[in-house]
Amino acid sequence: MISVTVDGAAVDVAEGATVLDAAKAAGRWVPTVCFDERQAPFGACRVCLVGLAGSPKPVPACTTPCREGMEIETEEPTARRVAGAVVELVLSEMPTPPAPHTELARVAARLGVEDTRWPGAVHAREDDFRHPYLALRHELCISCGRCVRACDEVQGAFALTATGRGFEANVTAGLDAGFEDSTCVACGACADTCPTDAITEIRLVPQSERG
Amino acid sequence: MSQNLVELIRRHHSVQAPTALEVLKEAVDDHGELTDEDRRRAAELAGIPEAAVYGVSTFYDDLLAPRGERHVRVCTGTACFAAAGDAHVDAIRAGLGLELGERSADGAVSLAETVCLGFCHSSPALRVGAEVDAGPGVVERVLGGEERAATEPDWESTLPEPVLTRPSEWAGLRRALAELDPESLLAEVEAAEVRGRGGAGFPAGTKWRFTRQAAGGEKFIVANGDEGDPGSYIDKYLMERSPERLLEGLALAGFAVGAAHGFVLTRSEYPRSKPALDAAIERARADGLLGEDVLGSGFDFDVTIVEGAGSYVVGEETALLACLQGLRGTVSARPPFPAERGVYGRPTVVNNVETLCNVPFVAERGAAAYRELSPGTETAGSKLVCFNERFARPTVVEVPFGLSVRQLCEEVAGGLRDGAAIKAVQIGGPLGGILPASKLDTAFDFDPLAAEGCMVGHGSILAFDEATDMRDVARHLLRFGAHESCGKCFPCRIGLRRAHEEFAADAPVDRERFEALLEALEVGSLCAHGGGIPAPMRSLLTHFPDELGLS
Repeated sequence: MISVTVDGAAVDVAEGATVLDAAKAAGRWVPTVCFDERQAPFGACRVCLVGLAGSPKPVPACTTPCREGMEIETEEPTARRVAGAVVELVLSEMPTPPAPHTELARVAARLGVEDTRWPGAVHAREDDFRHPYLALRHELCISCGRCVRACDEVQGAFALTATGRGFEANVTAGLDAGFEDSTCVACGACADTCPTDAITEIRLVPQSERG
Repeated sequence: MSQNLVELIRRHHSVQAPTALEVLKEAVDDHGELTDEDRRRAAELAGIPEAAVYGVSTFYDDLLAPRGERHVRVCTGTACFAAAGDAHVDAIRAGLGLELGERSADGAVSLAETVCLGFCHSSPALRVGAEVDAGPGVVERVLGGEERAATEPDWESTLPEPVLTRPSEWAGLRRALAELDPESLLAEVEAAEVRGRGGAGFPAGTKWRFTRQAAGGEKFIVANGDEGDPGSYIDKYLMERSPERLLEGLALAGFAVGAAHGFVLTRSEYPRSKPALDAAIERARADGLLGEDVLGSGFDFDVTIVEGAGSYVVGEETALLACLQGLRGTVSARPPFPAERGVYGRPTVVNNVETLCNVPFVAERGAAAYRELSPGTETAGSKLVCFNERFARPTVVEVPFGLSVRQLCEEVAGGLRDGAAIKAVQIGGPLGGILPASKLDTAFDFDPLAAEGCMVGHGSILAFDEATDMRDVARHLLRFGAHESCGKCFPCRIGLRRAHEEFAADAPVDRERFEALLEALEVGSLCAHGGGIPAPMRSLLTHFPDELGLS
């Protein structure tokens, strides 16, 4: 076991546990966007930043292993400020705010990020409603990698991939010809983990938006 | 990096399968653009899923721009910017009647952007096919179909006895195999305190130690030849003029950590690097210096050269490993470090090319002699620096650490051409801070440069003359940063785009909001790309605030 403190409270965690595991064990909330406990930590969203005594800057909780004696501060001011700034950036790339029930919207609300001050490019609307069950709305994709990892690590179907680079990064199925022309088995693991409904069950997309 | 994909690649590698990226590169070279048929073939040959291949095919610059019979690439690196602004880009666009990334309707000619060709001594540079032309009149020559291969100045050394800038005679490897065991070689490299020359300055011996201690029998050495830093052409010179020294360094690393195979990842922007290294490997094998039972010692070591496909972030070690295995060149969170899980999931040393080129001297002459190369400084060994076209004598020069930046600029490189005055220098690449003329007496060494918000980085010294508009510099660097972001972490993926938009717009930049964005990039970014671009921005805010159009 490794002994650490989270916001002053002592916690024992197993060898190999991450700072995020320790925070959860201590009952403390750490905001996350790209994290899914069914998948290996990815470290993309950088929203799970926490303070660490002796560290020159905050660390991502999901990919930082616990070490004996670590003192973790979940609401360290710089960590929270940057987490809020990153969520604000994410909201700025979406043409419409995320639906209130989505994980991204809930994290944004809890961090007090209500809107974005950033003008600039947003993702172009590109909706794929060809599959009987699954909708893929590229404009809502924030490249968190959860769907790709669900398909790879959980389902083993390898039907999804990250695409593009930089701001144009996105996801697609197969050779970008829709879920049906890929190795997708329609298990729904991608839709289940998506924090923005970029991939969702098609029946949950209002008919008026399906065109 | 998906461990499942890496495992698939490992299994196929054992039957000599090509990587997906290799298949896709060949397809583009063959017929100018990728088809789904090419992607399916790559998936089948490389043994990875079609979706993963699709992801690769949308990542690398070389796979994205369609090629005509005559494929023209214009360098938009920082040295070319310092020489010509964007005038050479505008002129070639207008002259060909093509936008960047466009091909003429008849397929005769195409135009693409490239960063950077490593002809920073003769900017601006253009490439037609595999040939690079550079310098005054280059656009007119290319438009007239009269391009000629640009020459590269010889490298020089200010050391009493050159170390890195002379041909290798494999004396370090000969001595190590005859007189040292792996542990004593490793101890010598640790004692020499060889610091990484690729940017981070991490001790090479520590990386070797971690890898030597890692569990498992199969280990690898990787030379990072992805010298993407615009303005730097040091590794290019090392790989193309002295490939034996790099191969010798790889073999020594392999001997020390217990690896039997090495890789060099070269840049496609340097089309001469891979052929130079491949030829040197053939010679070394013939001489018994590579292959099975090297010099009759019982030590087996061989090297494979892999060429990238156009991505700056692939210079980051985890992205480099992804590229080497033919995957998207995106960054992975560490741990696991390459020393634990690298090529094919096996323990791997990743060292910069120049770092490995330092090792033969340590093996031949020992740590004490190595430390004496830079007398009076904390840093051991010599350093290659290179200068951009603004200087009177731009080339690669081997120097000791500890000279002032002014000595390097004025005495070593002869000051700026035509007696022009330096306005500022950017040292070590696009992630390095910018030193104004008033700070040129700063010593060229890790700590003194860090104190000024700068870094040794790759060792490029890139001067901006008095005519340079520093808001243009900010816009240029942010455009590069946004274009090259791998897209993995959110602060870099979105933040660099927003930062570039701010400076590209013809409007004042909100300083407070911009500085908050810099903090998010510095604190939040996954790798040194998003984390490093703020360094020159901070320099500009400190030294040239009045030129940035701030509000």
